[in-house]
Amino acid sequence: MARFAPGDRVRTRAANPQGHTRLPRYLCNRTGTIEAVHGIYPLPDERALGMALESCTKEALYTVIFEGGEVWRERAIEPLSVSADLWESYLAAERA
Amino acid sequence: MSDLDDHDHDHGGHEESASMASRVGALVAKLESKGVLSEAELDRAVEVFLEGTGQAGGPALVAHAWVDPAFRARLLANANAALDELGIDMTHWVNVKLRAVENTERVHNIIVCTLCSCYPVALLGPSPTWYKSLPYRSRVVREPRAVLAEFGLKLDPQIEVRVWDSTAELRYVVIPRRPEGTDGLAEADLAALVTRDALIGTAVCAAP
Amino acid sequence: MPSTHDVGGASGFGPIVREGGEPAFHHEWEARVFVLNRRLLELGFYNLDEFRFAIERLPPERYLGSTYYEKWFLAIEWLLAEKGVLP
Repeated sequence: MARFAPGDRVRTRAANPQGHTRLPRYLCNRTGTIEAVHGIYPLPDERALGMALESCTKEALYTVIFEGGEVWRERAIEPLSVSADLWESYLAAERA
Repeated sequence: MSDLDDHDHDHGGHEESASMASRVGALVAKLESKGVLSEAELDRAVEVFLEGTGQAGGPALVAHAWVDPAFRARLLANANAALDELGIDMTHWVNVKLRAVENTERVHNIIVCTLCSCYPVALLGPSPTWYKSLPYRSRVVREPRAVLAEFGLKLDPQIEVRVWDSTAELRYVVIPRRPEGTDGLAEADLAALVTRDALIGTAVCAAP
Repeated sequence: MPSTHDVGGASGFGPIVREGGEPAFHHEWEARVFVLNRRLLELGFYNLDEFRFAIERLPPERYLGSTYYEKWFLAIEWLLAEKGVLP
């Protein structure tokens, strides 16, 4: 059961843990909007350790869109958005 | 790991290439001696792959979307199903989801994989070296217009640039805008206008 | 843990160098590495995430100084040694 739905505001985790992950640093600690929900996928952070498909964690995968000014903490000169496909554990609900 | 020679040239000089060829050969020979695979099978796989890389799946997809708005809508909703509809070989799409993103008069899309080099190889063939390069991966998410300018493309400042960072097992392809003055063209001729760079988002299509 | 690979937004990498009409592979050995990796993945020696992680863990100067398929080759060699397939 996916926790987030399109239109939800989410914040990415503040920093990446050691090891393999698919949240780029430039998108850590950023607020974005869920644009699509893609179903359940094995978590690459665990698969990279050789964990079998049967036993690894599987989570909902989302496309999240971030505004350029939010990503780069600069007032955007020209309109920019960046999207990334992120697993649920990389995200938290954002209140505001 | 043994040392590699330093080199500036992106693809190595003759010596580095010969050295890599022999290291790869040695690894393949070891794997063959362990019964993992055979050199002959590997070389056949290279041939098969290279024969397949001339496929024009990307341009065909776009041209069909240009002439058929209902197909375009289906493509945007479910690209894997749309590929299948066009009879494109789905062998390599089993575990991969394709997403088509369309350029409009308000949005220009560009694809990247900042973390490594994920790319819709099954649709477009192996990616160009620049796509996998550190300059592209680092800069396109931050200054896409400067990157596009290097590609000779200048966008209207009001257009939103949307950069899709391929961080998971979704692969992206851009549906470029149909150029003006192409109304009379047959679908095959429209497909000929669609370049690989336009499918990545670093170019737009032009009328012949 | 080096995160040399995580380059989104990093500065200093310079202009994008393009080679017009470049071939799919510049050398035969690159094509062999490409299909070798595909085959080893199919055979289940390692998975794609392990492969990516192996590349990410190359020493920074090796990551930055190697060509794309050189990195693939180093990762494959390393993984096969880790998994006890080699020597």
